[in-house]
Amino acid sequence: MEKIKSIEDFKLLQEMLIFGRDTNIPTLVISAGTCGQASGANDIIRVAKRELINEELTNKINLRITGCQGFCQMEPSILVEPDGTFYPRVNINNMKRIIKAIAQGKVLEDLFFVDPETEKPIAKQNDIPFFKNQVRTILSRNEKVDPIRIYNYIENNGYSSLRKVFEKGDRTWIIEEAKISGLRGRGGAGFPTGLKWEMLANQPNGKGKFLVCNADEGDPGAYMDRSVLEGNPHSIIEGMIIGAYATGANQGVIYVRNEYPLAIKHLIIALRQAHELGVLGENILGTGFSFDIKLVRGAGAFVCGEETALMRSIEGQIGEPHQRPPFPTQKGINGKPTAINNVETWANIPAVIEKGAKDFAKIGTKNSSGTKIFSLVGKVKYTGLVEVPMGITIGEIVNDIGGGSDSNAKIKAVQTGGPSGGCIPAKMFDLPIDYDSLAQAGSIMGSGGMIVMDEHTCMVDVAKYFTNFLKDESCGKCFSCRKGTQRMWEILDDISNGKGTITQLELLDELAQVVKDTTMCGLGQTAPNPVLSTLRYFRDEYVEHINNKRCPAGVCKELITYSINENCTGCQLCIKSCSENAISGKKKERHVIDPAKCIKCGVCKSICKSDAVVVK
Amino acid sequence: MEKLKESAPHKKEKLISNPGLCLTCAWVSTCTFPKDPEKSVLQCEEFESEEFKPETTLKIVEKYTGEQGELISILEEMQAKYGYLPQSALKIVAERTGRSLVDVYGVATFYRSFSLKPRGKHLVSVCLGTACHVRGAPHVAEEFERQLQINREDTTPDKEFTLTTVNCLGACALGPVVVVDGHYFSNVNTVKVNKIIKKVRDGLDKVEVKTDARIFPIDVNCPRCNHSLMDPSYLIDDFPSIRVTMSFENWHGWIRLTSLYGSFKIESEYKIPMGAVANFFCPHCHAELLGSSNCPDCGTKMVPMIVRNGGMMQICSRRGCTGHRLDTNGVNL
Amino acid sequence: MINLKINGLPVSVEEGTTLLEAAKFLGFPIPTLCFMEGLLPYGACRLCVVEIGDGPKAKLVSSCTYRVEPGLNVRTASSRVIKARKMIIELLLATCPQSKVIQDLASAHGVHQQRFRQEHDDCILCGLCVRMCEQQMMAKAIGFQGRGEKRSLGTPFNIKSDTCRLCGGCIYVCPACQLRCTYNQPEKTVCNGCANLTPPCLEKEKFDDMMCYMEPCVACEIKNDKK
Repeated sequence: MEKIKSIEDFKLLQEMLIFGRDTNIPTLVISAGTCGQASGANDIIRVAKRELINEELTNKINLRITGCQGFCQMEPSILVEPDGTFYPRVNINNMKRIIKAIAQGKVLEDLFFVDPETEKPIAKQNDIPFFKNQVRTILSRNEKVDPIRIYNYIENNGYSSLRKVFEKGDRTWIIEEAKISGLRGRGGAGFPTGLKWEMLANQPNGKGKFLVCNADEGDPGAYMDRSVLEGNPHSIIEGMIIGAYATGANQGVIYVRNEYPLAIKHLIIALRQAHELGVLGENILGTGFSFDIKLVRGAGAFVCGEETALMRSIEGQIGEPHQRPPFPTQKGINGKPTAINNVETWANIPAVIEKGAKDFAKIGTKNSSGTKIFSLVGKVKYTGLVEVPMGITIGEIVNDIGGGSDSNAKIKAVQTGGPSGGCIPAKMFDLPIDYDSLAQAGSIMGSGGMIVMDEHTCMVDVAKYFTNFLKDESCGKCFSCRKGTQRMWEILDDISNGKGTITQLELLDELAQVVKDTTMCGLGQTAPNPVLSTLRYFRDEYVEHINNKRCPAGVCKELITYSINENCTGCQLCIKSCSENAISGKKKERHVIDPAKCIKCGVCKSICKSDAVVVK
Repeated sequence: MEKLKESAPHKKEKLISNPGLCLTCAWVSTCTFPKDPEKSVLQCEEFESEEFKPETTLKIVEKYTGEQGELISILEEMQAKYGYLPQSALKIVAERTGRSLVDVYGVATFYRSFSLKPRGKHLVSVCLGTACHVRGAPHVAEEFERQLQINREDTTPDKEFTLTTVNCLGACALGPVVVVDGHYFSNVNTVKVNKIIKKVRDGLDKVEVKTDARIFPIDVNCPRCNHSLMDPSYLIDDFPSIRVTMSFENWHGWIRLTSLYGSFKIESEYKIPMGAVANFFCPHCHAELLGSSNCPDCGTKMVPMIVRNGGMMQICSRRGCTGHRLDTNGVNL
Repeated sequence: MINLKINGLPVSVEEGTTLLEAAKFLGFPIPTLCFMEGLLPYGACRLCVVEIGDGPKAKLVSSCTYRVEPGLNVRTASSRVIKARKMIIELLLATCPQSKVIQDLASAHGVHQQRFRQEHDDCILCGLCVRMCEQQMMAKAIGFQGRGEKRSLGTPFNIKSDTCRLCGGCIYVCPACQLRCTYNQPEKTVCNGCANLTPPCLEKEKFDDMMCYMEPCVACEIKNDKK
């Protein structure tokens, strides 16, 4: 690819690409992010290529392979542009029909998405409730862009914001725009981005400044950043170059976690292409401005998502956080001023510049502007990534977009903010989502994980799960965090095994407060949140475990028993699959589980076709 | 460099001097994976774990500039190469990078990606993220422990499986998720565990070439002179092979590729070292086949060929790399 | 010179001074465990926390690592701080009850109970030995390994070290192994014994040239009380 040496040449290339597009022919869009590939999207793509080649349709139908669209449960899915027809859960045996239909300009009604509420088929993606109620500023770009083709990105207005910034040539203008837009850090703490950039810009130049993209995304249950990294890596690169121009940074680092191999692959390709084209590296587009980005891989440590630990990890040391002050903008990587922002924050920057700060701030609430991508997962009908304006209520997300509960069980709570966050009970679902209201309710926005829980989720088990996660991921330096999380887990373990006492509950509260107060870094300070918020809203469940030695949700192993009810048809399927020979019964007779031998592994419940296994 | 006799008419049996070796890399000395010669595979299952040799470690360390920050990258490469971090290798790293052994060991034990014990052939990772946990992932992890009869982080005595857990893979909508050797299994429950283990033992990439819908033949031409590159007199995978000329250092000869998209079989007149990058030419017009895209797997330049019915096929010019691109819209960068 | 207030008293110290040093200057006692003169402060034990700031933004920070800032309002013994110290001492007792240093801290701060599962570890991971080995003895033979709950201390690979010079510095500074509490009965994990012990120093008038081997010891405070 030829290197572009001036802004004028870039403009010409962009115009050529935009006008060179043939918008008359339909485009077959297949999403192949990690979720898609895990669901079989690669096979769909292969068969699609086979059909296009064999039927000689290669110049009549465009094929675009993209990253995650967000409707993960329906993958592998196909979107047909320009009319917007959507085919969910495509089977490779149907591909021949689908391609033939696209070539003839027809649609296949039997393959449409069917709304389970109305039982009516819906043809177009934008009419499906999941999509209709979102405001997809960032995720909509994933649809249009093939992540490993930079020309495709440019064709879709990519790097136009960078061009605008260079043409304007005013660094302080960019910082002002960032401030006016009200963009707050999407990593969880919500620190105003413009302010952070100003602090970095005010540091003296000359010895080097760093910009970091925090793509560690350690929160279990959150994968929004993955979808942007895989689906639109150039938007992050563009955002970082704009940020570097504004603050005077000369070196950038993208710190990606090791568990995202596809994201790493796409980033490597994107960085290479950006270098070759001339939008990254020395003398970008002939403006004299130089900025380069290095890719650093994580090595499996949640604590490295914390900014000071992240910097230590980039320096090749163990990820032990250190005290602030001094803040990263004063003394960061190798002692140089550093600004760290989350992937989603960077991805929003080109949108801020393109739309203009004032228009960007129109979406959302007064103190939390813009949209946020949430990963809606758990016991909800439609799990996936949703992008919503700040200020939308939790109930709207869970019910209107997520479709409500995925079974007959009622939804009990949502958990936001990952291990640093807390649970919000169903009775508070009319709470609008923004940084401040969530903090007041005892949770935090966090990076955007939103886990829906129903009556079959035990809140004591949830608190125990998070505390277990944290005691493993804590760096271990601060005594209060290392021992505090361990002891909190021990108390929760006792409670979930029926050995807890009410005095232990009070001790748990006391301990949680001290861990929150005394630990140095964010991980330890927010580690007690799951415990404190479940105690606040679901204390009755704890008391039930302690006083009555009963787990109402049927989860805590020591307190439940498996039994078979009258639905049993006597098919003996469970008897064959029980590894402990704990079930007995003759054919056509109701089977019986021996509680002494039962290890509560759950295989019989999964395999029973008559829903006869009861857990109490 | 051995020159293999050009045999025609081609019969599969003649080339198999050692029945049972993988046909994709039959000449690679490190491939010892016995396979059924009747069934081809989508990708060679050559197991990358090498024995520790000081030279290999030194080679890895020397690739880096010596900046302190690169310690983790060095350890990651070593982990990928050996499957674990041998004690002697860590000592060499400490000497070469100037970091104290205490620091290097501290880093090696702090991060979960690194293992100080050798790992088995297949790495089974069960995701224990929140979304998977809520859907019953702990039961799945316990079932794996029961079926493989090992605890987490341990390896089976026959060195086939290592079981680990991971704290979120980012495929939450498909939970519970289990990854084995890079293959994702979604919506796993306790009943499916047995089937997964069996599938892994059988071979995750096994494919029935004749019946698999994902494998199909393509016809290619030279992008310069548009002459067909197909050779119907020499069959690979029962289809006409693609013939181009390959040149590496002083050696110049033919190389034939399978035309089955999905198989990676090659046969060549000369055997070039693994990892070496060769140049390719059209046998008719002698123009060099050099693409403008880079291999998505290893970054080397690719070899372009026009697909007869429209589209462009590009394969990697590095021996052993299966990176490729099949674009149906023409080459877009 | 930086001006700040500690417990309501104004103090003026040089830039770069830590809150611990400034408080010592004024004579306010702040307990420490992982701090030692001559070694860089680490901030692992969290005993030395003090409260800074005002209103809802008030927070606790470790005074051994926090540098003074102009206009800071520091409280070394507010109720939040005292609660935190007591809980941390309880956690210490639950981990390492046979250390005299920890038992003395318990006596001094009125901690009479330990409500967690009892462990008998020899190490609280305060890091004094690591820093001693690296900073004073220039050997760097031992270091931290692992992470979180499983963090531990030792030589690389836990085998004999090539760089260790057998100087004994690590044993010298360790709060857990330097002094063992000998009054600790197995049934009780909290000794509070030294508060009741009558060491020779209380009758120093009789023994003029006696050297105290138990410093710092709570008995010294009792002696002052008795006076």
